[in-house]
Amino acid sequence: MDTRSWSRPTLSPVKLLWFHLMPYPELPDDFNKKHRSVWVDIDPGLFDPDVMADCYERYSDQLVHAEECGFDGICVNEHHGNGYGLMPSPNVMASVLATRTSRVAITVLGNSVALYNPPVRVAEEMAMLDLLSRGRLISGFPVGTSMDTAYAYSVNPGTLRARYHEAIELIMKAWSATEAFPFNGRFTQMRYVNVLPRPLQKPHPPIWIPGGGSVETWDYCSTNDFVYAALSYYGHLMAKETVSGYWRRVEANGKDPNPYRLAFLQFIGVGDTDEEAYRLYKEPAEYFFNRSLHVYPGYADPPGYVTEASARARYRSQVRTVARAKQAKHDLTWDEMVEKGYVVIGSPDTVRETLTDVARTFNCGHLLTMLQFGNMSDELTRYNTELFGDKVAPGLRGLFADAEDHWWPANARAA
Amino acid sequence: MAGHQQFVYLCGIAGLPAPSPALEVLAGTGWEVVVPDLPGFDGRAGFQPPDDYLGWLTVVWDALDATGALPCPVVGASVGGMLAADLAALRPEAVSALALLAPFGIFDETHPGLDLYALPATERMAHLFAKDVPEPFVDRFGHLGPDEGPVARYICDVAAASLVWPLGDRGNARRVHRLPGPTLLLWGDQDELLPIAVSARWTEAAGVPVEIVAGAGHLLEWDAPEEVATRLAEFLAGD
Repeated sequence: MDTRSWSRPTLSPVKLLWFHLMPYPELPDDFNKKHRSVWVDIDPGLFDPDVMADCYERYSDQLVHAEECGFDGICVNEHHGNGYGLMPSPNVMASVLATRTSRVAITVLGNSVALYNPPVRVAEEMAMLDLLSRGRLISGFPVGTSMDTAYAYSVNPGTLRARYHEAIELIMKAWSATEAFPFNGRFTQMRYVNVLPRPLQKPHPPIWIPGGGSVETWDYCSTNDFVYAALSYYGHLMAKETVSGYWRRVEANGKDPNPYRLAFLQFIGVGDTDEEAYRLYKEPAEYFFNRSLHVYPGYADPPGYVTEASARARYRSQVRTVARAKQAKHDLTWDEMVEKGYVVIGSPDTVRETLTDVARTFNCGHLLTMLQFGNMSDELTRYNTELFGDKVAPGLRGLFADAEDHWWPANARAA
Repeated sequence: MAGHQQFVYLCGIAGLPAPSPALEVLAGTGWEVVVPDLPGFDGRAGFQPPDDYLGWLTVVWDALDATGALPCPVVGASVGGMLAADLAALRPEAVSALALLAPFGIFDETHPGLDLYALPATERMAHLFAKDVPEPFVDRFGHLGPDEGPVARYICDVAAASLVWPLGDRGNARRVHRLPGPTLLLWGDQDELLPIAVSARWTEAAGVPVEIVAGAGHLLEWDAPEEVATRLAEFLAGD
């Protein structure tokens, strides 16, 4: 088994990853009229455990299918009390996928480390996943949304980020220490830190930081040489400001513009023709954006969740305010979703052209594709995935072939 | 009342954007109201919440000691009531009399009240009062302008929220038996954040009867300034 370090990279083309939120597919038609929020205080009576058990089986099969279709990585993430993201523990799902796949990067874009005390539990579980996958783990450390952290898990938003940074510091040290050590943090004190097992990848699995667009996160990623994963649901047009802001901070921090410093998430629907794609993906997109993204606005703004600098920037940003106001009305039309780039749809040629332009414009080497969303059926999901793998992906493979991906797992392999 | 009279006032969950009418009534009768400069509540840039409640007590006590007013009577409202109760319980020599106006510090699962910070920011102020939102709270820090005013409001809210997140219970029920001297407990019967039933938990734990202020919300000294001032004046006169 090759245990070479991911810090000794080889030249490699763009990476295509298949991302699953694992949504509940049977929210009622009038959900956004009769219920306050899909998150935090959603009515648990809406969820049928049998339906969700079937979903877990079907969704994990879809992720395995992505490997068969040539994707480079598969992604899971973490949400709590959420009707469109039913992976409170992405590690549980990742452990299933680690043993059901043999080639793809297992990309865990949880864990929200500030939620776990002591955070060494995350260090332990990530190490286990790296071993189970034989060195194919990407370890994501999001701060976590306000809904997940401040409300569903009741962590004080005023100290969330300090906890988060301390937790990552502890995890990184725990992965690399050569002996048990004491840790005297502001939020975690331990006499004996001795994480066993240790990760297979040395010095540790690649670290990706999912984020929404704060200056602090851009600086944190670039100064620590972590990948910044821009995870907005609102597509490439809305993300331009975020991505350009990130690259400005990369440059300001004296780092090279390696495209593999960035990952970007995009909802995608591929059809044989533009017309077919327009017809096929309307319903699941409307389900996601107008029904399951129905989040009570009161959960978006707990005092302290964003730093003073980000608050100052936000109060001056008209773009985001307008976007939020529009989304909150749940009146997006399918045409608007397409026009605004929330979902990239079309024939393989159309999608490839758009994504090529996005990747080049964003200088993004890790494309996170959302090919299942909302209540999309298994049949359509597989169709979407196969079309993308067969007819879109080959045209993207030439991108960034001369760059070095320092942030890819040691033993993840191309198809 | 004889000689120099003063008391310390610890403000409530929305800060103190202007002297409250109740305090002004007392000031008009010869009381000097000492308002310590609590970190964050002034909206000043650069504020970082303390790591924990002990950290909060430390910075608040530093601010209180800096006034040079202690020992003296202490009046605390809302989150300031929680801090005042702990000052009296843990430093009894510093507090000659204690008046609590709907204090945080004890949470009752059967009467959870409104989660202020699970409301959009623009809607929060209306739930602190039973009557119209007093003018100073309509546009807190508005004097700082359209750019910095909202930031200062945010910082003030960060300070208050970090004190009470997630329930506003800092274990005061296990300490209030140590309250040393005379204590006044006032509560608005229209309090949305801490329903009047919560006052019974304070009475049980501290042995202090509650005096209800009819028609008043959480920041009761703004909803019923005359009545609150009168009761405070009577209480303080007996100190």
